[in-house]
Amino acid sequence: MMEALSNFAISWVSPELMGLTALGTFLGIYVGAIPGLSVTMAVSILISFTFSWDVNHALCLMVGIYMGGVYGGSRTAILLNMPGAPSAIATALDGYPMAQKGEAGQAIGLSTVMSVIGGFVGIIVLSIAAPFVSDFALTFQPRDYMMMAILGIMLVGSLAGDSLAKGIFCGALGMLIGTVGLDPLTAEERFTFGVVELWNGINPVAVMIGMFGISEALTQLHHMEKAAVRQKLDKILPAWRDVYKYLPLSLQTSTLGVIVGALPGTGGDIAALMAYDYAKRTTKNPEVPFGQGAKEGLIAPEAANNAAVGGAYIPMLTLGIPGDAVTAVFLGALFIHGLNPGPMLLAEQPEMFWFTVGNLTLANIFVLIFGLTGIRLFTKIVECPKGVLIPLIFLLSVVGSYAINNSVTDIWWMLAFGVLGYFMKLYGFQVGPVILGVILSRLLDENWRRAIISDQESLGMFFGNLFHSPLSTFLFAAIALILVSQTPLWGMWKKKKPSA
Amino acid sequence: MVESTQKQPGETVFGYLMLLLSTFLFWQAYQISGFEALSSPGAFPLAAAGIMVISSCIVVVKNARRESPAHLVQGFFTRILPPLVAIMIALILVYAVVLDSLGFIPSTFVFLLLAIHLLHHRSIISSLVITTGSLILIYVIFRLVFQIILPEGIVPEREILAWLGNLFGSKGN
Repeated sequence: MMEALSNFAISWVSPELMGLTALGTFLGIYVGAIPGLSVTMAVSILISFTFSWDVNHALCLMVGIYMGGVYGGSRTAILLNMPGAPSAIATALDGYPMAQKGEAGQAIGLSTVMSVIGGFVGIIVLSIAAPFVSDFALTFQPRDYMMMAILGIMLVGSLAGDSLAKGIFCGALGMLIGTVGLDPLTAEERFTFGVVELWNGINPVAVMIGMFGISEALTQLHHMEKAAVRQKLDKILPAWRDVYKYLPLSLQTSTLGVIVGALPGTGGDIAALMAYDYAKRTTKNPEVPFGQGAKEGLIAPEAANNAAVGGAYIPMLTLGIPGDAVTAVFLGALFIHGLNPGPMLLAEQPEMFWFTVGNLTLANIFVLIFGLTGIRLFTKIVECPKGVLIPLIFLLSVVGSYAINNSVTDIWWMLAFGVLGYFMKLYGFQVGPVILGVILSRLLDENWRRAIISDQESLGMFFGNLFHSPLSTFLFAAIALILVSQTPLWGMWKKKKPSA
Repeated sequence: MVESTQKQPGETVFGYLMLLLSTFLFWQAYQISGFEALSSPGAFPLAAAGIMVISSCIVVVKNARRESPAHLVQGFFTRILPPLVAIMIALILVYAVVLDSLGFIPSTFVFLLLAIHLLHHRSIISSLVITTGSLILIYVIFRLVFQIILPEGIVPEREILAWLGNLFGSKGN
């Protein structure tokens, strides 16, 4: 217990680590707030600059950016009706009408406090649930890991894109990218085309920067004409009467957020939309109707999306399986820093777990501090024109890719995946499953081989044994259900159902 | 998860290109160890490439059922690859080519100046000021604070930094 506490407090007592967490949170709020910049993009680029750092230092900066970024998206959603991040889409529904009535300050203040409450709920659930999930995960068979990874990729693919086929294509492409290089078990060449430089594979960071940095910035070039709208803001402290009044709703939607965040394939964006719907259904007589500036419509998604951060950490740290694109990038960062997220993390490196929990708590406190101060600076920075911002994203993407190995080859990969990602996005292919595939490729490959070897290279035995374990059966059924739900058979069954 | 009934310009070609890529990768995956064993190094890539082939076939078939947009070529160059995007891709490409040989400072300066001038639509003086300020900021943060090694190229950066260090060092003595 004392050891856990001392690890929890590492970033609290070191001025350097505390400073980095504060810097990360501060930057994260702006990254989240500026439309065109995303947390995924920022963390992807940051990995390349921080991978030579000590792991604690790098984690402090990235955790801060993640926590701040999820909150930051709400700012522009309220002020400009432009959600800075997908998780803030629901916030704009009532936040912007509040700003139009001149209540922007109050909306920001309230959303800050509720985000922080949501963040704390997420962290508390993470610290309580993770050890149990981790213990349970020790009983997982290799095939369970394999199916869980497939399920995650399929869920992200089906929920984010416009067709499951495209989502699956992207996930498989990612898996294939992850296999390039020498096979880790037999050192056989895979997709190297005789090029020695490819023996080490394609650096996942270059893929991430290309897919999230370059492709996103290129897509932004389509919307250059959208000008920033100025808002007058002075006071942003919320009315404490409101905080007290809406605390029960905030706690309920935080719980919802943390559960949704912990599920594979669902992140803060879905948690926020579900929480908004929950608030709409459970609030009988709102002071202001929903969609016209209801405070309940602002509080629910904000508490939920920040609570989802803690939830998303549960499968990431205990199973080594990310729930969505942001956590996939984050997981990539943890691997690069030599950590091995999975069921053994809590047993072998409990200090890293408690350090992360402590650091998330600290970042959440900084969200409160930065969220309620510095509004003048905020309005100035957020008005940074896209004409300046986009070239800077390109520049950071190029420099970031170069910094991975001090090699131009990584720039080429980054650029190739950036252009591919750009076209994929425009044609309805989501880039999130690609990254998930790249990150999970090794886990999938190794567990598939372990599973099939233990089943004596027999597919019949593999499927037969699958039904001896309730967890394997459940995972297999979930994968099958997602696949069947996309076939014409499902449509026919659904049509028949009402008449039956 | 609803696909629009009308295709984007170039979507059919992109679908076929993805199918072509998948087939090529499937062939390459087969080359690793054929159908030797289910636990062979090639089995997993073969399965992944197979999934790509099947899913890209579905995408191609679905695309064929959707309406084609009017003014295909014109639509492609306005909605998918407008001149601005093509120019920016070309600019990044050139930047990446010259970064190593010319060095970070001159190549980044030219890249930023051109990109900001092209996208920000302000006077050249304003673009110059923003470019210089951004370059200094990025250089200080990444090169001096983060200690990231950036290509020196034609600028003898280390000598300049050493000279500056000596200058301030000797003044301090």
